[in-house]
Amino acid sequence: MDVGSPLGGPATSGIADALKGALPGGTGKASQEQRRVTLILGGVLLTLGLRRVSFGGAALALAGGALLYRELSRQSGQAGAETHMAEVTRSITIGKSAAELYRFWREGGHLPRVMGHFAEITETDMDQAHWTVRVPGGRSLSWDTRVVESRPGELVSWQSLPGTELPNRGEVHFRPAPGDRGTEVTLRLHFQPPGGTLGAAAARALNGLVPSLLVGDALRRFKSLVETGEIPTLDRNPSARASTA
Amino acid sequence: MRALCWEGVNDLRVQTVPDPEIVNPHDVILRITMSTTCGSDLHFIDGYVPSMLPGDVIGHEFMGVVEDAGSEVKKVKKGDRVVVPSFVACGDCWYCQHDLYSLCDNTNPNAEVQAPLLGYPTGACFGYTHAFGGYAGSHAQYMRVPHADVGCFQVPEGLRDEQVLFLSDAAPTGYMGADFCDIQPGDIVAVWGCGGVGLMAQQSALLLGAERVIAIDRFPERLKMARDHIGSETINYAETPDVLAILHEMTGGRGPDACIDAVGMEAHGTGPGYLYDKAMQTLRLVTDRGQALRQAIMAVRKGGTLSVLGVYGVMDKFPIGVIMNKGLTVRSAQQHGQHYLPRLLEHAVKGELDPSYLATHRFSLEDGPRAYQMFKNKEDGLVRAVFTP
Ligand SMILES: [Zn+2]
Ligand SMILES: [Zn+2]
Repeated sequence: MDVGSPLGGPATSGIADALKGALPGGTGKASQEQRRVTLILGGVLLTLGLRRVSFGGAALALAGGALLYRELSRQSGQAGAETHMAEVTRSITIGKSAAELYRFWREGGHLPRVMGHFAEITETDMDQAHWTVRVPGGRSLSWDTRVVESRPGELVSWQSLPGTELPNRGEVHFRPAPGDRGTEVTLRLHFQPPGGTLGAAAARALNGLVPSLLVGDALRRFKSLVETGEIPTLDRNPSARASTA
Repeated sequence: MRALCWEGVNDLRVQTVPDPEIVNPHDVILRITMSTTCGSDLHFIDGYVPSMLPGDVIGHEFMGVVEDAGSEVKKVKKGDRVVVPSFVACGDCWYCQHDLYSLCDNTNPNAEVQAPLLGYPTGACFGYTHAFGGYAGSHAQYMRVPHADVGCFQVPEGLRDEQVLFLSDAAPTGYMGADFCDIQPGDIVAVWGCGGVGLMAQQSALLLGAERVIAIDRFPERLKMARDHIGSETINYAETPDVLAILHEMTGGRGPDACIDAVGMEAHGTGPGYLYDKAMQTLRLVTDRGQALRQAIMAVRKGGTLSVLGVYGVMDKFPIGVIMNKGLTVRSAQQHGQHYLPRLLEHAVKGELDPSYLATHRFSLEDGPRAYQMFKNKEDGLVRAVFTP
């Protein structure tokens, strides 16, 4: 798998096609929107799951597809205005000072690597970045973020600029850990999926599935990078499997 | 290159796979000179331990010569002859800095997958399931070793390959198990299992000052090995009705001061308890057969130490009441090899530790599937199958 295209790869499109095939048919507007949202969110979840080519990942990917499909096909008369945010929060302890970690996050240009399992990030300047998430079928979803608050040694928060299909914001907090343990780092991401019932369903799916994969992985990648100078990877791992050749 | 791959439960095949490459700056590529089977491989070969994928290269006990080194590798260089512990450790995280290398925070790319199973993830182990990282293993011509400066230990001149090979896994695991027992003058240590790890635990207990070592197994040739190479006293549990009574008498009614379980989840035993475990495990209702572990817990003296080296999943009928009422200390870990290797190499150089007798059978890599078959069934007195690719 290419480092630069973490969500690409041949293993994912087949599942996406299968998911697409499993969706209710029809050519109406609602059906199209349904398919679009499913492709975006289901695709993200599935590819995140499948990237973990293992029992948990596969199970998670399948659960992601199944859950999403179930929620979507239910389509009961829920209030269309119910568009609550999906919010995920995870913490990790890193053996560096809060000041160092803040500097790494702000100035190191490390974000594209830390988030590389999820999105391609281009930092346009210190406060702005362009995010692209690839979804199966050759499509991609992108948005720009701007840092809205930044307190040295304490926190950085950012949010997407208006006009994206998947509005989101995030923040990272740094807090000294006791003893010789370094710094407790908390990463929080909020997604505002597309509105309406579909949005609510997608939000629930995001709530249930994304935390361990997206936020947890991002924190672990950040920790490994700052503690060791590299991110553990199975890229180009020798095996007798066609997909890694 | 050629490599021995897991293709499914009880299905190993030698295949042609892509050569490993340097991916991260602290990686080296090792040309494997010797690699060996380990009892814990049998758990995923049999399907008791999940998260293997078809095509995975197996093997985690090995040595070799550095073929190529990444840009940040400082201590080892091309041409160095090295032995490498089976767990990958970064050397920089809190756990590595507290000598708890197999608990490393930074080497398991599948940490988020493993964490829900254990609460928190461990470090990665070569060739041992995707929950434990998914790195390709050592039954191959070449392998990638991440964090080489932490994992690669130079082999001193004058030591033969088979004297060093087992310092990769069996010896540090056994040594750690004995170290956990905090052995005092006069202590008697009992060890369940006379495979590679069990024999190394017995030898280490003596090196660390134990008065006597008692070994428990069911294969006469292994028990003979424990007597001849180490000087252990032995009990063949298949031939005696009551191991506990014998241990009781051998220790003046006190019980062993420390008991080491070097058997793990696929323990054999006798009587109804064993049949129950076997049936439950066959039905996949439990992952473990706990005969050896339960016996060790019963046998150890009051206030003594239980040291668990065997690989376990989630066991039912775990006699915590015995541990509690007898005031036992329980210690366990996957091997912290990076902590013990310098000491072990010193013992090897001084001639105090020579595990080469474990290498009872040699195979080419191409014979891998047959070697594992013989290893599993302990045919022909095979203790460890050694591959020279
Ligand atoms: Zn082993
Ligand atoms: Zn570490």
